[in-house]
Amino acid sequence: VPFGSVDEVEQALRRESYLPDRGLATAVYLALKLQRPLLLEGEAGVGKTEVAKTLARILEAELVRLQCYEGIDVAQALYEWDYARQLLYVRSLQAGELDPTERMRELYGPEFLLERPLLRAIRAGAGAVLLIDELDRADDEFEAFLLELLGEFAVTLPEIGTIAAVDPPAVIVTSNRTRELHDALKRRCLYHWIDFPELEREVAIVRTRAPEVDERLAFSVARAVGELRALDLVKPPGVAEAIDWARALAALGADEAVGDAARTTLGWAVKNHEDLERAAESLR
Amino acid sequence: VTHDALVRFGRALRDEGLPVGTDRIEAFCGAAAALAPDDLYWAGRLTLVGRPHELEAYDRVFRAFFGGSPAAPERARVRVQLDVALEEDAGLASRTELLRQKDFASLSPEELAELAALMERVRLGVPRRRSRRRAPARGGDADLRRTLRRSLRTGGEPVERLFRERRRRPRRLVLVLDVSGSMADYSRALVLFAHAALRGDRRWEAFCFGTRLTRVTRSLATRDPDEALRRTAAEVADWEGGTRIGESLQRFLDDHGHRGLARGAVVVICSDGLDVGDPELLRAQAARLSRLAHAVVWLNPLKGDPRYEPLARGMAAALPYIDVFVSGHNLASLEAFGTELARL
Repeated sequence: VPFGSVDEVEQALRRESYLPDRGLATAVYLALKLQRPLLLEGEAGVGKTEVAKTLARILEAELVRLQCYEGIDVAQALYEWDYARQLLYVRSLQAGELDPTERMRELYGPEFLLERPLLRAIRAGAGAVLLIDELDRADDEFEAFLLELLGEFAVTLPEIGTIAAVDPPAVIVTSNRTRELHDALKRRCLYHWIDFPELEREVAIVRTRAPEVDERLAFSVARAVGELRALDLVKPPGVAEAIDWARALAALGADEAVGDAARTTLGWAVKNHEDLERAAESLR
Repeated sequence: VTHDALVRFGRALRDEGLPVGTDRIEAFCGAAAALAPDDLYWAGRLTLVGRPHELEAYDRVFRAFFGGSPAAPERARVRVQLDVALEEDAGLASRTELLRQKDFASLSPEELAELAALMERVRLGVPRRRSRRRAPARGGDADLRRTLRRSLRTGGEPVERLFRERRRRPRRLVLVLDVSGSMADYSRALVLFAHAALRGDRRWEAFCFGTRLTRVTRSLATRDPDEALRRTAAEVADWEGGTRIGESLQRFLDDHGHRGLARGAVVVICSDGLDVGDPELLRAQAARLSRLAHAVVWLNPLKGDPRYEPLARGMAAALPYIDVFVSGHNLASLEAFGTELARL
């Protein structure tokens, strides 16, 4: 385990400009210590994906990212054969071959294997951080397949044999809750719900991510964004939106998120037409 | 804190309805051992909780166990009785036909029980969409994987060329049922309908609303219609209460629909459209829904009456955004609707 305590995780994340709360730091520490996947849920824009990216930098590991979508299957997630090259190879062998069995083996050799993210992560083992992003978008069958893989960290390719990770990679799974993930999968994971940060932490996050923004503007943006979130909007602004908005205001030379400057730049924080009108009214 | 106390804490959560199995308790003990005593709260939260709405119960039980002790509020439960044995009847065929045509509002409890059995046969066809996944087909794109495999039989010469095509999958169906007081005569029959419909595909969802929205997909996921009805009524806190269609629809869109549940789906709203709330809110939400969904269907039992006109302010406001407006006041109309659905 690369960390001796939760505090060390917290400091390491801070050094990489990610300001976690105690819960998230604990979650990351436990995930590494107990070698369990970490399932992160929360509103869009609270920094779920960023956790994996930051962790990969800290561990100096390769970030292997699997973006899920509806209809994703083994060929896109695990491995596929390079059929076009295999076909060409077969054709080039056609004229009088010596040993067909040997040739067959070559046909399914590593040079024709296209490695997809899951296989890549298994091969890299502890040298990788595997990010399975937006798992709720994939369908149930894929979730079941993943369940097996996350349990064993081994995969059997019929043509080659079993490939297993010596030390499993750190695994971070994110979901936006468009649907409920299966209990079986959740049981295998540590579960952490990431909330929007409280005011002070948001100010600090904005300041860390956008150093050109001064304290007063950062505070004003964080407070305004907090008020927008309380408005019950269709798409409440996330932390990423707060940072973008603060940057835009700073570029215009504004001191605070008020008045015309705030109204003209509001599109950085609120990105839904119906929301915009209500949000504009609530600005000071 | 002893190992024993941790196990008892896990059990207490289970009593609160959290799905805490032995494996989760084991993980909890492992996490607690790996952390400082001050982080016990997080050790439990990360291993024993799996959904955001469980956090409230977790916090409450944690406080009760390791400090403070607020009592759990008892929630009033609604009971629905449908335990009526089916009568043996000689003229069953004609009775069935009568029942199919009979307005839900005039059903006796015995007839409702019979209806439940008939409802089970209702199958909904929904329109299909192209998925990303491909399947073998007679034409379409070249399927190199299978062509190559097949070519091995013919000495590496791809004699037989195979194709694949994007699969067509049924769209998601989402039912949103009004169970407020004004719909009392219809709500039981509609819940039975939802129960039967949801068995068609496990990705389909159902919601109930009066003044607030409740997801009832899980309550309906049981074989027995009687049990489904009981569980749904128990789950929905405002059964036969007031109506706020606009707010409920907004909740549906904010919490579920906008996140993907309604996107490209067929959304069926069952309501009489009698809403005392702001019609503008309902109009705006219906507009949002029509932009997200593939088709919006409104079943209004009042429409079973030929003299009915959608004059109620709420209904009139939503009407421009509705693709199909039908009655659904008896089984025959629901069956007709079921077949029409596939053509949307």
